[in-house]
This record gives sequence, C-alpha cells and structure tokens, in this order.
Amino acid sequence: MLDAFVDGLLLVLQGKPFFYMLIGIAIGFWVGILPGLGGGVTIALMMPFIYKMTPQEALPFLLGMHSVCQTTGDITSVLFGIPGEGTTVATIIDGYPMAQKGEAGRALGAALMSSLVGAVVGALLLALSIPVVRPLVLALGSPEMFMVIILGLTCISSLSGRGKRGLLLGLLAGGCGMLFSLVGQDLQAGVLRFTFGQLYLWQGLSIPPVVIGLFAIPVIIDLMVKGTAIAGDVSYGKLGKGAMEGILDTFRHFWLTVRCSLIGSGIGILPGLGGGVAQWLAYSHAAQSARTIEEQDGFGKGDVRGVLGPGASNNAKEGGGLIPTVAFGIPGSSGMAILMGAFLMLGLVPGPDMLTKHLTLTFSLVWTIVIANIIVVAASLFFINKIAKLTTIRGNLLIPFILLLIFLGAYSSHSHYGDLIVTLLFGGLGYFMERFGWPRPPLVLGFILGSIAEDYLYISCLRYGADWLYRPKVIIIFFFAVAVALYPFIQRKRLMRKEQANEI
Amino acid sequence: MKKQILCSMLILIAMFATSASEELMAAPYYEGKTIKLVVGSAPGGGYDRWARLVARHMPKYIPGKPTIVIQNIPGATSIVAANYLYNIAKPNGLTFGAVQRGLPFAQLLQKKGVKFDLRKFSWIGSPIPESNVLMIRTDLPYKTVEDLRNAKTPIILGDGGMASSSYHFAILLKEFAGINAKMIHYRSSADIALAIERKEVDGKASTYGSFRSFIDRGILRPVIRSRVSEPGIENIPVDEELTADKTGKTLFAMRTGPDRAGRPYIAPPGLPPEIFKTLTKAFKDCVHDADFLKEAEKLKLRVEYVSGEDCLNEVNVVLNQPENIVKEFAKYIQF
Repeated sequence: MLDAFVDGLLLVLQGKPFFYMLIGIAIGFWVGILPGLGGGVTIALMMPFIYKMTPQEALPFLLGMHSVCQTTGDITSVLFGIPGEGTTVATIIDGYPMAQKGEAGRALGAALMSSLVGAVVGALLLALSIPVVRPLVLALGSPEMFMVIILGLTCISSLSGRGKRGLLLGLLAGGCGMLFSLVGQDLQAGVLRFTFGQLYLWQGLSIPPVVIGLFAIPVIIDLMVKGTAIAGDVSYGKLGKGAMEGILDTFRHFWLTVRCSLIGSGIGILPGLGGGVAQWLAYSHAAQSARTIEEQDGFGKGDVRGVLGPGASNNAKEGGGLIPTVAFGIPGSSGMAILMGAFLMLGLVPGPDMLTKHLTLTFSLVWTIVIANIIVVAASLFFINKIAKLTTIRGNLLIPFILLLIFLGAYSSHSHYGDLIVTLLFGGLGYFMERFGWPRPPLVLGFILGSIAEDYLYISCLRYGADWLYRPKVIIIFFFAVAVALYPFIQRKRLMRKEQANEI
Repeated sequence: MKKQILCSMLILIAMFATSASEELMAAPYYEGKTIKLVVGSAPGGGYDRWARLVARHMPKYIPGKPTIVIQNIPGATSIVAANYLYNIAKPNGLTFGAVQRGLPFAQLLQKKGVKFDLRKFSWIGSPIPESNVLMIRTDLPYKTVEDLRNAKTPIILGDGGMASSSYHFAILLKEFAGINAKMIHYRSSADIALAIERKEVDGKASTYGSFRSFIDRGILRPVIRSRVSEPGIENIPVDEELTADKTGKTLFAMRTGPDRAGRPYIAPPGLPPEIFKTLTKAFKDCVHDADFLKEAEKLKLRVEYVSGEDCLNEVNVVLNQPENIVKEFAKYIQF
C-alpha cells in the first residue's frame, strides 16, 4: 500500500507526463477563469489531442486540467461576482462583498489557499479510504441518496435570510428552483413539462446559463448604475496587499477548512449528485460556525469563512469524484466518461482491480490532483495582488469585457440562442430578487437538486414501496437533515441568550 | 524601378490568387470543419462508448479529415435527439447522430412528441447488430426460465425508461413468457450498473455487449436472449420459443427487428447525395479499419457491420405492420 503510494508519486513526476500535466494545468487555469466553460466540456474539447498521446501522458493531462478549474473558478467568482464554474457559485456570496469592500486580495488569498488545503485533504482521504471505499459507496442505495439530497435541501435554512420572513423567502426561492429543474422531458413517462413547444427546452435548463444569469447580470446592472469601480472608492494603494492575510485566514480557521474539505470529498464520492452540491453544504456549514449574532449576520456581507468553506470543498470533491469512475467503472460525468476511455485504451478495466492490482496508477491520479493544485496556487500567488487591482477599474470599462465573457460562457452550454435568452431571463429574475431581498442561493440549490431528487424518490418508491422509509440509514440521514434544518434557529436562540447574559 | 516593383507585385498577386483558387478547388468539403455526432443517450452507456469510438476513427476516411465532436442529448429514448436531427440540424453533413434502436416503436405507436419520420432519415449504418439478453445476478437462485416464472416475489429489473429497448424486452417477457418481473426506470445504464452492484435491482434486460464485463466478472448470468444471437449465448432459450401464443410470437419478432440495426447512425433527411455517399462509405471503411477493430477489442466490443440500407429495411418491417397487430403491440409497449 505504502509502496503504491510512493510509486504513484514517482509516476506523476516522470518527465513527459509531468510536462503534459503542466499543459493541462495551463489550459485548466483559463477554463476555470472563464465563466460557463466548465471542466467537463473542456475534456470533451481536448479529445482530439489526447488520442495522439499515450495514456500515461493523457491521464495527468486531463486530470490536471480538470482539477485546477475549481481553483481558478474561485478567482472570477470573487473578483466580479460571476461564477467562473458551476461549482464556484457559493464563493460569490461572501467573496464578492469582500471585493467590494476592497479586500479582493484577501479573499483571493483565502480562496486559493483553502482550495489547496481542500485538494490535499480530499486526496488524503481518498488514499486512506481506498480499502473501504467499495462497501462505503455500495451501502447507499437510491433511498439513501434521496435522503442525502433532502439533507442538501435543508441547507436552505442557513442560506436564507434571518427571521421568519427570511426563511419564507428562502423556501419559496428553493421551491422555484425545483420547479425550474423540472423543465424538459421527464425520464419516467417521457412527458414534456413546461417546454412551451420549444425544442430547446426539451433538454431542460442547464446550469451555466441559469447561474450566470442569476448572479452576473445583477452585478453588471449594479456596476452601471453606480458608475464606480467594483471596490467603490477604496484607495488604490490598500489593494496591493491582502493576499498574505487571506492565506493566514485559512490557517486561522484551519479546522473549518478541513471540515469543509471533508464535506466536499464525502459528497464527491457519491455518484449521481453532481458537482454543484458540495459547495452549498460547505457554505452553510461555514455559516453555522458563527459565534455571535453579529458574526451570523455578517455572512453574505463579506466574511472570509464564507470563502474558505466553498473554496475548500470544491477541490476536495475532485478526489472523491474519481472513486465511482475508478472503483466501479461508472463515470459520474461526461468528463469522467472520457477519462474512462483513456483507462480502457491503457488496457485497464476500471473496477475492483484498480484498487488492488493497479493501485499505483490510482494513487498517481490522487497525486496528480494534489500536485496540480500546488502548482496552480503557487503560480497564482505571484500575481494575485495585481489581479485584485482589477476591482479598482471603472465599471464602464469592465462591463463590455464581462458581458462578452458571460454570454460566451452561457452560449457554450448548448450552442443555441436559447442559452442567451435563458441567461437574460434569469438575469432579470436575479436582479429583482436582489432588489427585493430574496436570497438566490436557495433557488440555485433547488434547481441543482430538484430533478435528481425526483428520480431517486420515484425509484425508491417503485423498488421498495413505502418500506424504504424504514431503512435505518434513511432514518439516520433524515434526523441528520432535521438537525441541519433546525440548527440555525437553535444557534440564534443560544447566541441571543448568551448576549443577554453578557449584557446583564 | 517603379515598373519592376509593380511587375513583381502583380506576379505575387497572381501567384497568390492562383494558389488560393487551386486550394479552394482541391479542398475537400470537410477540410477544417467539425462534425457534430449527436448521441441520444447519457455519457457512459453503450451507445456513448460506440459513438466515441466511431468519432475517433471515422475522420480518417472522410476526405479533408474533419474533427468529430460528441454531443450527448439524452432523454426519452433518443426521441429528443431524433427530433433535433430531423428538425433543427441542417442536412449539410456536419451533424449526424447515434440514436437508440427503439425509435421505430415510438413512431409506430404515434407517440406524442415524435416529430420525425424515420423512413426519411439518411441511414448511415451500424457497427453491430445487438442481441437483447435478460441477465440476472448470479447470487440469486434464478437460473432457468422456470425459476423466473415461479419466483415468489417479483424480480426487479432495471431499465432505461419506458421507451427503452431494455424495458420493451422485459415487458414482453413478463406478458408472454410469464416471468414474474417488475421494472424500474433509471437515468442511464451507468446508474443501472451501480444499482446492480448495490443489489438494488436483481437484473437487467439489456444488450449482451454492454454488460459483458459484468458477465465476465461473474456478477450477472444471461438467461434468455432474443432471436439475434451472438457468440457465447447461442444455447440459451430464445424469447419467441417461450410462448405458444401466435400474437406473442409476432410481437417478440417485431421487437427484435430493431435489434438487427443494433446501434444505428442516422443523418438529417435530405442530405445531398454526394455527402451521403461520403458519410456511408467513411462509416463502412471505419468499421472495417484495423485500428478500429483493435480498439473495439480492447473495449470488449464485438464488431459486425450492418449497412444503412439493412437498417432502413428493419425499420420498414416494424412500421408496415397491419393495424390489428399494431394495436396489440401498443397494449404492451406503451410510451
């Protein structure tokens, strides 16, 4: 086992594979920064190139590229309030307000460092869990998966505003999100739902145009109306520093970062949940770490912990996401499906053998994730403070550039003009939600989880009747979900009591 | 001096113009272009794996060597993808598709949402006829048809939706061969594979090829097959022989029809004849290509070329049934 661990490292550090990994990282860097263009799509775009390589070169190339996207996606999220990746939306919630306060450098430092910690923790957990990973994944059937999704949905309670009104708005937004996820042809009966005679809508709404619209368009309108830079009138000199502060923040809240990494890799291991979920679980966990009411209210207004949580979980989930592909030969995404093709060409059949006979190679994949992240974070740190100064550029100059990027990104999801219309419509929705104080994260969460929740619920009921409700694991996850849902209220009561006691 | 410059410039321009026009003349239609291969299934399944293999090897047989890019458009047994190919994609040879073979039934039964006529598509061919096999987990006691008939609790079979070939095979076996089964729909065959590993489903009616690795690993056992056979399963019972009912036999035969088309590749209707010829020939050459065969073997895929014409014939057989048979068919195979 230890031999394989070390041999895996040596495999990555060989000349040519390492070189191809560097190329992959360079591509992944830009893919991450550009909104909409995701890691999965890029792997598909890279297909013509990898068939000219040997598999030993192709695997680090693809995986290196795929695993740094999340890291640099955070940069766009923090700087412009625009999701660089579908998986870095949660970083916006606190990262962008930080940029507005003139703390872009600090936020970027925190996002990058937590990404690195996340990648390392995720890979480490993956390495440690290899002997038990098969039974672990097999233990969760469709009913358990449904409950995990419910658990994810309960995060809405921490993602909503405070008080009864806040919660109500959050739940309504989450419900809307679920409704949006139902658009398209459903799996069970082939019925067309909310398609309005448009073939484009048959495939359903895809995540990039929806999320880009919701978050990017309001930012642009805001910038235009204010007519200032993103960082308002923060003095230029102050922005040059801060990256170091962000890095230190990661270690100040080290255990939070580690816990969020663990959440990320846990979610990553479960096939069929999609990459967008882990960030929200991690964010709401970070939000629950508030120790005073003031701190609790500060989330969403630029608390560095709101950057650390999603930053860490995004990268940690990459390691976990490899598991279904490697251990079962069941790819979790289109990107992983292509990666699996590379396996087969090498003469490796993904499956139990990868955890025993070909353990070295599996570990080399783990190492690729770690090393790729170290390289990209180290490289970014050199110019992070310079990048932060982008937030002092006058909005009017930035807007054309941002507009081009977001529409390009949205259009890349189906290459259909419908993508642009969806972006604009959700942009309008996002603007009014922000204007009237409706929280957008619950909507995104409902949207991501809605249709998979439906699938798993249907399968559970058909397979087990009502019996699935009595399965012990289902009950355990259910109580866990209840606890997560209620925790923000209990926490607030407790904090209030504490504060009252202090006053007396 | 000026004259010299003028002359040399003219010569240069002339050279450039002639070379450019020569290039234009000689440049094949596909040079520098990208072909989109629409796959009507989710990534990771059998259709997807085949398509990625074809996408890799077909370009070298198309003059101009275009790049072929995969786009997965899953949903409703490829009806979404077929509608896309029929209504949206232009018949310019830059888009073609790998659709699921069950589509003729969708059209036969006039499924709402079908916005295509399969007979009008440009049929390119198929790399393999597929045999449908009912496979059951080896850790279960069901080894023969009798065991399946006498099962006390329904045997849970995973399938890819009510319009998938895996569901059709299972429902006819249930109705006419008397197998005690219950079907559950999953989003992709990858999900079913996981469900088998989790023991959430007891088995799956599926093409023999796509779950061969599970058979080789001793997890699944083939029990019943359709008329189209493959090496290794010649001796297991055939669906049509498991019923004495005449209608039942016809329905089994109808269902097997598309199996012969296997993994069909189609292009939008109204393809210019030259481009159609280029694509069909490139497809045929690709399927017989040595590298293609070598890689298919690595991927554990059996190859047996079926021409586009043959595929279309099978489609016509299904679509040209008398009304009473269609009615009977519709009773069991609903969309």
